[in-house]
Formats: sequence, structure tokens, C-alpha cells
Amino acid sequence: MSEKATVLDRREFFRVLALRSGKVGAGGGLLYGLLGLRPSSALPAGARGELGIVRPPGALEEPDFLARCIRCTECADACEAQCILLFGPEAGDLHGTPYIVPSEKGCTLCLACGPACPSGALTPLEARDEPRMGVAVVDERLCVSHNGTGVCGACHTACPLRNRAITQDFRNAPHVVPEECTGCGLCEELCIVRDRRAIRVVTDRRPAREGAT
Amino acid sequence: MSKFRVARRTVQILVVVFMFLMPVVARYQNYVAAREIDRVLDRWSGTAAGGVLSAVDSTVRLLPGAEKERAGRVQRDRAQVLEYVQAARGGPWSATVGPVSMTDPLGAAESIVASRALPWVLLASLVVPLVATVALGRVFCSWICPMGFLLELTDKLRAVVRFLEIRPRDLKPSRATKYGVLLAGLILAAVLSVPVLGYIYPPAIVGREAHDVVFAFFDRAEMGRFGPWAGGLSWMAALLVGIVLFEVLVSRRWWCRYVCPGGALYSLIGWARPVRVELDVDRCTQCAQCVAACPEGLNPMKNRMGLECDSCGECIASCDDDALRIGLGGPLVESFRSRSTSRPEGSA
Repeated sequence: MSEKATVLDRREFFRVLALRSGKVGAGGGLLYGLLGLRPSSALPAGARGELGIVRPPGALEEPDFLARCIRCTECADACEAQCILLFGPEAGDLHGTPYIVPSEKGCTLCLACGPACPSGALTPLEARDEPRMGVAVVDERLCVSHNGTGVCGACHTACPLRNRAITQDFRNAPHVVPEECTGCGLCEELCIVRDRRAIRVVTDRRPAREGAT
Repeated sequence: MSKFRVARRTVQILVVVFMFLMPVVARYQNYVAAREIDRVLDRWSGTAAGGVLSAVDSTVRLLPGAEKERAGRVQRDRAQVLEYVQAARGGPWSATVGPVSMTDPLGAAESIVASRALPWVLLASLVVPLVATVALGRVFCSWICPMGFLLELTDKLRAVVRFLEIRPRDLKPSRATKYGVLLAGLILAAVLSVPVLGYIYPPAIVGREAHDVVFAFFDRAEMGRFGPWAGGLSWMAALLVGIVLFEVLVSRRWWCRYVCPGGALYSLIGWARPVRVELDVDRCTQCAQCVAACPEGLNPMKNRMGLECDSCGECIASCDDDALRIGLGGPLVESFRSRSTSRPEGSA
């Protein structure tokens, strides 16, 4: 009799333990994911900081984009250059949405992602000069052609709209024409200044994590 | 095993294969587009990643027009190969096969209420799922959903648990819970302007995790690491494990029966489905084998499957008396029949 009581007690104990830990785990996990309570250091380099998220070509304004995107992976599957990455659950409400880290891999403007999007969060584009993913900004202190430590021209060579979006002057020093720049980030990818690129894509979207650098 | 179940299992397995194959094909496409594929295949020969890629490569090259002869050598027709591999993509949440785009109505509903917009592309990708669901009911759950497939398999683990002298419980909350989850999720999506249900909807999670696992597998291969475990799973996978454990130990098929917001939406869309499981009352011997067999916990003997039945056919397979079959029925068909036989001399 007493034996049976202990068995039941243990069962009861495990049941309560399982229920409690399940609740705490599920609730905590959901909060953790939805609110994004996590250290920012695990985010890829280009996705944090003040530059703002680079979205694939044809993406709507950020609030509209977040509302429409159903987080389905189709744009990443369609991407020819494999530049479209997807946020993990650590990114809170950005989880599953596509982004580009130009310093890792810039967009080659194949424009396959637009027609692949089933939700209309990415608009299909026709011409390679149409996208406005952001604008490349040259840091003249870092750029070797600007600061006089060398002669480069890599970004000018990489630019799909050479001489339209990036022009050159003395010592191949690049100048971005913001109205023409698609924000594809091929210049950032190819920039020879490797630690912190001398040319970087800046967007008007929020950074992946507020306050992170 | 009935033919119906064989067909259903085949489709379920094909969906799982498709789900893991599409990211592989996406990576193959990346290497072809970058003109790297031959070098990659060469470098990875003898590894798992290389094997998978070369299997895809050989299959694609069998397709008509995928190869051409140039300078005496047979090689890939790059443009044609790219066209082939771009023809299909996605997973159970949203997929494209050739010209047909299909999106889960739950994702579409969320997107619509969150953005308060109704884009044409979204409507176009709803056509196939909606037509199928209106005609056949909640068949996504029994034929397509990878989580439904997984839960059907883990359902058998309850016997193992019983063998281990642990008595699995069977909580039975209200079936209306899932409609509440659906409504609450849609309201939350509208308030936050973020489609939140996709974060707890198992087919969506499974699809994303499969995508991440495959991509991580190739990322590691690119870094020269060919270990057996590729990683890439996020903690969302733990949510799936939790659902499975809860199903095995606490409540049979609880997710599909009581919680799943997607199943709830499919149920609502398919409420008047003309193609459904029908009972032949004269043949039924009330043996209740179908009641034990039904994964949704319904009672086919009473012929009241209503919203919840996903036409999986398990009751038909379990019936010894041929009393159950897939036939025409439901409110629409009934009203049509009663109208055509409502003349005074017409007696059924």
C-alpha cells in the first residue's frame, strides 16, 4: 500500500515537473523568440550595426514588408547568387525574413526573388537598375584611393552600373551617385579594405537589433 | 494495407523528400549559376555533400536539352539547367512547382490581415489550395502536412510506451480550442502587423528547419567540414519535439485535433466539401473499429464527421463490412439532392 503511494507520488512529481517545465520552457521560448531577448553578437556582421537591414530587391517598405512576408524561404531558394539569407528565431519578429549581408555576398541583381515571392512582399522587377535596396556610402578615411595610401578601383569594377552608379576620379577614387545606386552591395563585397569596408550599403530600414553595433 | 493508404503514404513521403530536395536544388542552382559546379563536385567527391550534389546533377542532366555538345565534349547547357532547377522551390508552407504557386491559406490569411492588402500574387497562389480544400476538405492535414505524417508515426509509439508499463494519458480538451487559436492568432497578427501564426504552425516550422539544415550542411561542406551532423536546427525544432512528446505521453493527436490553427482554417474552408467519407448505414454492424482507427478521434459510425474529418481513409481501411467509402455528400450535395427529389411522387 505504501509502496503504491510512493509510486503515485513519484509519478505525480514527474507529472508536475513535466507540466511546469513545459510551461516555463514554452512560454520562455516564445517570449525569447517574439521579443528577441538574446545577445546581439550572434547576428552576422553586416546585419547588425547602424547600417540597417538590406532586403532583397523589390522589397516593400519595412513595416509593410514585415506584415506581408509569410517567412516561406521561396526567395532564398530562388536566389541565384545565394546572397539571400534568412533570420533565425533569435531575431524576433524578423525570424524567417530574408536579408542580404553585402560584405559576405552582394546581390547580383538576377531578380529571381521577386517573381518567386508568393505574398507580394517582394515586387517583381524587370530591369537590373530598378532595385533600391540601399545606397553605397564611401568612407573616405578608409578608402585607399581617397586617403592616398593606394590606387584601387575594385568597387568601380564590381559595380553592375559602372560609370552610372559609381564614377571615378584621381587615383580611381570612387564617387557614388545615390540616385543611380541599387544598393546591391557588390562593391562592399569586393572592397579591398577587409576589416571594415571602405564602401558600405546603408539603408533606411531599422538595424536587426536596436542599439547593437 | 489498403490502396488508399498506400497512395497517402506515398504522397506524404514525396512531400518530405520535396521539402529536403528543394534547398538542395537551390544550392545546386547557386553552383551552376556561379559556374562553380564542376569544381565543387570535384572537390567534394566522396563526401556526403558531393554525393547529394552529383545525384542532383546526374538527374538534371537526364532531362531533355540539359546537355549540349561543345568542342567535342558533352557538357551542361547552363541556361537550360538553370531553367529546370528554377522550376520548383519551397516547402509545405508555400511551394512553387512549374507555373503553379501554392501557399498555405493560413499564411495568406495572416498576411492579408497583417498588411490589410490583397495582392494578386497571393490570390493566385491560393487557387489550388482553396479549390482542393473546398472540394475535398481538410486533405492537407492527412496528405501533405509533414507534422501530421510525423504524428501518425509517433502515434504508434504509444504502444511502445504502454509496453514500458507507462500508461499514456489521453487528455481531451475541446475541439473548439483550435478555432480560438486561429482567431486569436489572426487578431494578434492584425494588431502587431506580423504574421505570428507561422511561428507556431508546424508545417511552416518544419519547412524552415529543413531549409536551414540543408543550407548548413552545404555551408559546412564549403568550409571543408564533412562531419555526419550538419547542424542548422534552431530551438523551434524543440517545439516540434515537445509537440511529439506531448502527443505520445499526454494527449493523442492533440495538436491536429485541438490546437492547430491551420487545421482549423482548413476545416472551416472545407466544411461543405462534396467529396467525403460516407457511411452505408445498412451495412454497418456497429463494431466500432473505425472509431478506434480514426486519428482525429471522430465517430464514423454516426456518419457525423462534419468539419473535423480530414479524409485520411483510416476508417475505410479498418471497416470489415464495406460500410464506409469515399462518396458524395455534405450540405451542398444534400440540398441539391433534396431539391431534385422534392417532387411529391419522388421518394428516395
